[in-house]
Amino acid sequence: MIQLKDVGFSYDGYEDAVIKRANLEIATGEFVLVCGPTGSGKSTLLKIINGLAPHFTGGTLSGRLLLNGEDHTGGLPHNLASLVGYVNQQPEGSFVADTVEDEIAFSMEQLGFNANEMTQRVKRFAELVGIEDLLASDLANLSGGQQQRVAIASALAAGQKLLVLDEPTSALDPSAAADIIRLLKRIAKHENVSILLAEHRLERVLKHVDSVIIVHGDGSVSKSLPQDAFREYRLVPPIVELSLKLGWNPVSLDPSLSSDKTIRSDQWVAKLSADISSAEILLETTDLQVKYGQNEALKPVNVKLHAGEVLAVMGENGSGKSSLIWAIHGLGKRSGGAVSSPWGDPLSLSDEERLGTITLVPQKASDLLFLNTLAEELQESDTVAEVEATSTASLFAQFAGRVDPRKHPRDLSAGQQLALVLAAQLVKGARVVLLDEPTRGLDYEAKRALARIIQKLKAEGKGVVLASHDIEFVALLSTRVVVLEDGRIIEEGSPQEVFANGRMLASQTSLALSTAGLISVDQVRPA
Amino acid sequence: MGAWLAKPIPIAAHNRTKDFQMRNLAKLQAGSIHPGSWWILGFSLAVAAGMTKAIWVAVLICLLAVGLSALLRTDAPWARSLSFYVWLAVAILVIRIAFRVVFNSSSSENLAFALPELNLSLGFGPPIQLFGAVSWNTLQAATMDGLRLAAIVLSIALANTLANPRKLLKSTPAALYEVATAISVAINLAPQLIESLQRVRKARRLRGKSPRIGALAGTVIPVLEDTLERSLSLAASMDARGFGRRGSLGNGASASIRVVSLVALVLFAAGSYLLLTNPSLTVTALVLLSLAVVAVIFVVSISSSKNVRTRYKKQKQTFADYSLWILSALVVAVSLWATGGLR
Repeated sequence: MIQLKDVGFSYDGYEDAVIKRANLEIATGEFVLVCGPTGSGKSTLLKIINGLAPHFTGGTLSGRLLLNGEDHTGGLPHNLASLVGYVNQQPEGSFVADTVEDEIAFSMEQLGFNANEMTQRVKRFAELVGIEDLLASDLANLSGGQQQRVAIASALAAGQKLLVLDEPTSALDPSAAADIIRLLKRIAKHENVSILLAEHRLERVLKHVDSVIIVHGDGSVSKSLPQDAFREYRLVPPIVELSLKLGWNPVSLDPSLSSDKTIRSDQWVAKLSADISSAEILLETTDLQVKYGQNEALKPVNVKLHAGEVLAVMGENGSGKSSLIWAIHGLGKRSGGAVSSPWGDPLSLSDEERLGTITLVPQKASDLLFLNTLAEELQESDTVAEVEATSTASLFAQFAGRVDPRKHPRDLSAGQQLALVLAAQLVKGARVVLLDEPTRGLDYEAKRALARIIQKLKAEGKGVVLASHDIEFVALLSTRVVVLEDGRIIEEGSPQEVFANGRMLASQTSLALSTAGLISVDQVRPA
Repeated sequence: MGAWLAKPIPIAAHNRTKDFQMRNLAKLQAGSIHPGSWWILGFSLAVAAGMTKAIWVAVLICLLAVGLSALLRTDAPWARSLSFYVWLAVAILVIRIAFRVVFNSSSSENLAFALPELNLSLGFGPPIQLFGAVSWNTLQAATMDGLRLAAIVLSIALANTLANPRKLLKSTPAALYEVATAISVAINLAPQLIESLQRVRKARRLRGKSPRIGALAGTVIPVLEDTLERSLSLAASMDARGFGRRGSLGNGASASIRVVSLVALVLFAAGSYLLLTNPSLTVTALVLLSLAVVAVIFVVSISSSKNVRTRYKKQKQTFADYSLWILSALVVAVSLWATGGLR
């Protein structure tokens, strides 16, 4: 179906090629996961296949690209559109039409299908992805998962047998993401579509795919079976890390299938959560509420945060996580209730006072960056916080190591941007930091770095509120968890309770080992 | 993970569906009618408003336009500007009347109210007289002028609010496809721009007040980044879905298209000039205008002939459309008759 022969790709102005002499073959109906660290060239590899690289991205392509045995090297994206369907991260950002059916028909219109055939195909592909009842709906009124289904239907409606998806689940909550992955697996099998899927959160997809392509970041690209892919590789999902630590052979990919595996009590350590009930209370909400018009985003919620605590707020998209932490911070909307802290109600603090007491890092950390170099951003932060020069720089160095200060903030990796914003938000000595979905778009290595930072804050006696979908990340770090649904707390407890096997948010480790109190790979001693 | 799926439909989602149904109901009314028909009605009302000499007719047109728009509009981005048009219309009316009161040719006949007269000497020419005695006639004429303009604005507002521009663009000839798509993309980006502006402004306050960076740089740069990123990813995705394919026109065909378009433009200009300035040459003007129309049809059909694209579900005219057309024709005919244009 797809053959890459000696394919190389380099961007203009960069010495090192992103991809060097890649030789890959993908069969009809094969479901392939493409992974690699952020910035390794995953997206570039995908874009080579439909011509967006180099025609849209710039750069130089070498080698040959064969689709269905025909040479399409250097083909323009719109000429490859009849062969390759393409779906990207943000479905709503790539919509052209306003209703579902018009969107699905768009590609067919470009390719000159006649009206009758279009009507039939729109119906057939809407059924395939399970949105046949929504054909006349407005795209803007759909949920993220439904929008991504529309994008998949429109990428396939013109009969494309090759589907390329660039992190299609990154903006979705776990259940919607799992649905999309299952749908893709079905499409590969029953429609004989070859699928290339780039994804960070390997734990979501590993058990469903036929093979794995790793883009290593040094230009090399390798393809292997899922159970063999990660032996030599740094970025592994928790279940693989667990298998490697315990020396399981073959490596387990699906935690629910490894429940017969047992672990001796000397092979793991219990998580000792220090008694914090006597520690100082940094935040306490009483009946905190948020309403947007008729929509009650947050129904009266009571939570408490002690010093040295990491309080995780979990729940689906739209369950009220962001509303809660923004309302606590004081800059977000609050419709009722109160928040108390040693500094008074945060609502009554000025922006400058908040910077020294209760700070927040938003979902898109780069919204806070607007200067031309890292050095300027660090200096700016010192000035605004009225602290000694280079304070922010040394904090940033603790978080992210040495980074060239002449770099443009937008050229930093997602993890480094987060570290920079975090440093700026902590330099004035804030004791509470609120993090809104900090792991979005981070690879495993960047997540580990962030986890180290949060552990450090915890040890220093700061209070951290962490809004996240990321079960594994939260299982690793949190001291307490609240789960929101429709703006209401539906579950509250220690991570050992919330992530235990059989609970709705079971972590991979507890699914695989079902041992009470064992929820995260870091508790397991290497064999 | 399974339990995430099995949960009952949340209350918020219920509210959403209800909202959604109500919106769809409104859409059914405006959306089942071809957007072109709304524009025809809008233009007809505007023509009638432009010709009328009776205040009550202008008021009626204003009420009709606002009433219809408010009743049938959806919450689509283009339909949200009705209140802006209403304020614009009110402003026009007020300014028009105020203008006539300030720059007033004082006359004590049929006096409404008298203001102290103000004579300004500019050092050259006759002195300028401001304010003074304002007659009912002056006020009435000003109100008529203002209402006429307001009615025209509101008639266009009606078309703008009720006609879905995307659907209108679907009915454009293939030669204009690229332009049409660009406009529809811009419509999609507008609400996203507002959303990212709000997000960035809130985020900016998180870092405290900056002595060096103005609000502008701190807001504009991230928003601009957002918008650029979005536009590029949209463009990439459109390209990947086959947008931009076309059959090629020969050199000869392209050249003749350019020449004929120019000719059409000149004919249009000449025709409308004659029509508006010289009543005795109406027939000549009409001939020129029809020639221009023929030229335009020629251009569009040539450049559409090599088109590879097809259209999914073009909107068909329904009974409601025909009724709107008849209504529009009646509006124009009655106003022509009333102003003596047909006598």
